[in-house]
Amino acid sequence: MNQCYGCNTCQSADKPLEAYIAGLPMETSHHRVESQSTKCAFGLQGVCCRLCSNGPCRITPESPRGICGANADTIVTRNLLRAVASGSGCYIHVVENTALNVRNTARTKGEIKGVNTLNRLAALFGIEEADVHKRAEAVADAVLKDLYLPEYEKMALTEKLAYAPRYDKWKDLGILPGGAKSEVFHGVVKCSTNLNSDPVNMLLDCLKLGISTGIYGLVLTNLLNDVVLGEPEIRLAPVGLRVIDPDYINIMITGHQHSMFTFLQNRLTDDDVKEKAKQAGAKGFKLVGCTCVGQDLQLRGAHYTEIFDGHAGNNYTSEAILATGGIDAVISEFNCTLPGIEPICDQLKIRQICIDNVAKKANAELKEFDFENRPAVTDEIIDEVIAAYQARRGSVPMNLLPDHGNANTLTGVSETSLKQFLGGSWQPLIDLIAAGDIKGVAGVVGCSNLTAGGHDVLTVDLVKELIARDIIVLTAGCSSGGIENCGLMTPEAARYAGPKLRAVCEKLGIPPVLNFGPCLAIGRLEIVATELAEALNVDLPQLPLVLSAAQWLEEQALADGCYGLALGLPLHLGLPPFVTGSKVAVQVLTEDMKTLTGGQVIINSDAKESADILEKIILEKRQGLNI
Amino acid sequence: MKYVIIGAGVAGVEAAKTIRGLDASGEILMISADTHIHSRCMLHKFISGERDEQGLDFTERDFFERYQIGWKKGIRVQKICPDKKELLLDTSETVSYDKLLIASGADSFIPPVGELRKASNVYGLRNLSDAQAIVKEAENAGEVLVIGSGLVGLDAAYGLLELGKKLTIVEMADRILPVQLDAHGAAAYQAAFEEAGVRFVLERKASEAVCEPDGRIHKVILDNGDQIPCDLIIVAAGVRPSLSCLEGSGIACDRGITVDSAMKTSVGDIYAAGDVAGLSGIWPNAADQGRIAGRSMCGVDAAYTDTYAMKNTINFFHLVTLCVGRIREEEGDEIHIKEDRTQYKRMIVRDGKIQGILLQGDISGAGIWQYLIKNQIDISHIKKDVFDISYADFYQTGEKGKYEWSIPVQ
Amino acid sequence: MKRILIEYEKCDGCKNCSAACMQAHRKTPGTIYDLDLTDPENESRNRILKDADGHYKPLFCRHCDDPECVKSCMSGALHKDPESGHVFYDETRCGSCFMCVMNCPFGVLKPDTVTKTKVIKCDFCADAGGDPSCVKSCPKKAIHVEEV
Repeated sequence: MNQCYGCNTCQSADKPLEAYIAGLPMETSHHRVESQSTKCAFGLQGVCCRLCSNGPCRITPESPRGICGANADTIVTRNLLRAVASGSGCYIHVVENTALNVRNTARTKGEIKGVNTLNRLAALFGIEEADVHKRAEAVADAVLKDLYLPEYEKMALTEKLAYAPRYDKWKDLGILPGGAKSEVFHGVVKCSTNLNSDPVNMLLDCLKLGISTGIYGLVLTNLLNDVVLGEPEIRLAPVGLRVIDPDYINIMITGHQHSMFTFLQNRLTDDDVKEKAKQAGAKGFKLVGCTCVGQDLQLRGAHYTEIFDGHAGNNYTSEAILATGGIDAVISEFNCTLPGIEPICDQLKIRQICIDNVAKKANAELKEFDFENRPAVTDEIIDEVIAAYQARRGSVPMNLLPDHGNANTLTGVSETSLKQFLGGSWQPLIDLIAAGDIKGVAGVVGCSNLTAGGHDVLTVDLVKELIARDIIVLTAGCSSGGIENCGLMTPEAARYAGPKLRAVCEKLGIPPVLNFGPCLAIGRLEIVATELAEALNVDLPQLPLVLSAAQWLEEQALADGCYGLALGLPLHLGLPPFVTGSKVAVQVLTEDMKTLTGGQVIINSDAKESADILEKIILEKRQGLNI
Repeated sequence: MKYVIIGAGVAGVEAAKTIRGLDASGEILMISADTHIHSRCMLHKFISGERDEQGLDFTERDFFERYQIGWKKGIRVQKICPDKKELLLDTSETVSYDKLLIASGADSFIPPVGELRKASNVYGLRNLSDAQAIVKEAENAGEVLVIGSGLVGLDAAYGLLELGKKLTIVEMADRILPVQLDAHGAAAYQAAFEEAGVRFVLERKASEAVCEPDGRIHKVILDNGDQIPCDLIIVAAGVRPSLSCLEGSGIACDRGITVDSAMKTSVGDIYAAGDVAGLSGIWPNAADQGRIAGRSMCGVDAAYTDTYAMKNTINFFHLVTLCVGRIREEEGDEIHIKEDRTQYKRMIVRDGKIQGILLQGDISGAGIWQYLIKNQIDISHIKKDVFDISYADFYQTGEKGKYEWSIPVQ
Repeated sequence: MKRILIEYEKCDGCKNCSAACMQAHRKTPGTIYDLDLTDPENESRNRILKDADGHYKPLFCRHCDDPECVKSCMSGALHKDPESGHVFYDETRCGSCFMCVMNCPFGVLKPDTVTKTKVIKCDFCADAGGDPSCVKSCPKKAIHVEEV
């Protein structure tokens, strides 16, 4: 018998990673897929309800109603609303913290790295302030003001940020959101026991939560981050486990709140800190990216090449990253920070520190991010990390994978950097689409999961199918992490594209899959879509644009999905979001949505079939535009 | 070894199969008046046109070839000669045997009322030949009289309703299906039949029936003087074992042929099974007796032990009823009743043991009641509503995953 | 003959076996996701019973060595397959008499809910190669197939 923890790990699109994980002596999420593979049929359909002590109730032919009388439609949509409200809450927490960090930075006259973005926002919001710090503070205040509004007051910035035809549509549907936090509250209350039972009413609330999630949680978070951390710049960067350099003290970061690391990432390159590292025997510190905050660091990496090693992988790669032995500490502030990393950190003596109290890990120390005291707290963190480095190096074995990933993934793509790359306008892209050199655009976004074929399997297969059909793919989220580790975001990846798209990519020197960064960047994709639509004088549903959250994982993804639907876009999912037990939910999401917002949900777990369906939709949209 | 079986009902068929399973080379010959193997429980489906002759066959399609069984069909046995071990057939042919099974079933009993036994338009409903004749007769019949509202009488009516016939059913008791059901259970079927156009005349019997010159009875007079006009009369007043071929054979009979628990008659190498033995008139028991007889005939020890016969299922107009055990209340009984818009349940319990149960509406999983009643299992210790009792309360898995009965020792 | 063996102490009444059985025998094609759990035509061949103490007792057809249902069938619809040993039900031959329901001592059989013309009977998932869906779906591994 050998030292492998178990024989049956799930598949991964990233074959070197799959082999590496299979050979690990510790348990990971990949090991646990098989023993959890017997799924409850009622749970899968979303027809299990645990909202009261008379439950859990299930829908069966002998009992088509819960004890309270709720039918499948009520139970399913209640469960869905609860998930979307929760997911929206997550994003709103992120934008709230981000806005607070911007405001605090402004008030303390900190560095405003993204002045252009600040000015864009100020212009949009109608804020006129000569002083850059006052301007930044005013912008942050405007965002926070909206977030804290009561539910019965519509948020003011929605109209300023949304695409006008979309705003009008939402107004007509009565789904313009009130205060974002209040909307989450409203959603949670609504789906509690014996309250709301109207399935369509709850589905509309999901759309409303999607709008507030998208505009605030997604679009604004990106832009606020740009203000204090700098705007993304296109560059080539290394990705994968190869980025871990054992000569440094390595800190893996997880979460969604890049602005919380502003101070830390600068402090770690201060001379006195670098000296401490050298004293301990290392060359310095490095931040290793994982999950969306890692994507954010990668996106803005041009601004701090010294401290950032690279993005090692997505959420379900996090265990492998730690298993290399080269990570000395994990600093986490949100998800996805798998509970499963806790025993691994214990075993490998990796220090765990949590800096947001919503993401407290069981065996981690909570060192809440405190803007005022951040110098002192940061120095404490640094000392603890150094202590961990000293305690573990030498006694814990290294199991590096230096060839994993690649050295030249294109990153730093944003709505401004891409436009700049194209010469300052979207016309070249529009021309390419009109000419058919690019058939259409697919946003393959969201998470990574382990059950739709395996780790990133459906995502990567779908991307390959799409680019083979000359459809350019834009990514945002942990999907980016999986796709880039499989080499589809290097310029050489053009060879996997269909002949027309390949020609475009080779001419421009870009890959056929463009990484916009974290899932927050779905907001950036929306800005691109809006600007394209404006240029063509059409509404978003008319663009040859489709979305796929092929391996959506968690509740935030569902909130993102609702945003996509509110934008009127076709949304592909690999697995159903526990809604198929309700005929009403399925009807509304997959059919009626077309007349409501223009969007529709498409559920298909086969890459080729899904690509066929999405291609067909793109061709229909093209026809509608007469191209 | 030559095995001869008189009768091709389920007792004879099961016996033949059993014998073949124990004796691969012996000659097996079946002699029957029936020209088709048919399930007598489904004759109403033939009358209604739902099934043809083939559709009534309950055996495997290639039954005779597969089991290498010879069959003389459409032939009656006139005489049995045990001393020569020979049978005389109505074709004048003689057939010898080493072992003989009499499974000739039963004949409809036509009561000696008026000229019922003489008329040409009076039928029992016992064999396929009866059903075939009824269908033919029904072609020109407008009004049909059924005497007896037991299972056979109602089967006949149910089949004839499909042919659009106007039906009147006369019954001596104060309710239909008087043997199987209580008044409440019977009422549901009566209502269903009446809604389909059937007229019931209860607590009456036929007292006069005279043939017209054409040899047919065109009206029957009841014991209260009422007249029932009819073109076709079906008598469902019970059956009597077919003992005619036993005359002079010396085989002992009372109601039916007398048999021991191994199905042996009073004469060596002669066995009897099924309705002809008069032990019970239901299918599963006849089948069982046939199998036991088959084993006995092959010299294997066999005993007919599960003789329980108080059990019936009824299914008309999608209303299903199951009744097992006693339905008539006696002094000292504990009666349990449950009723709602879809079902009626009545149970008689005595000294902690179930004596009878009637389930109308939903009979899911109702097989356990037969086990509990026929074995007189004590249920008093089960802390449940009696109607919620299930196999869960006696659950035990045994060797090879078989289900066993966990009965607490008293 | 293969039989489903039951370790009833492991059963926690989740009914995933019943859902899987409905899925295996559904009329229209589809996945577990769109199995209509409100349609009374979807019926499970197995049932989870409860004893007086509320303990779950899973009821699965034994495909008995000496099956009472077969012995009581008056139409030839039920027969014990000589090769597999399993008891199969032919809906087309059934006469809807329900004597089989009356004779199964464990109460495994039932008439179908909607039409009351046929019997709901385990077929050991013969159409799926004799690989019972219920067994695969039990999260507690309370049931498994063994050659007996």
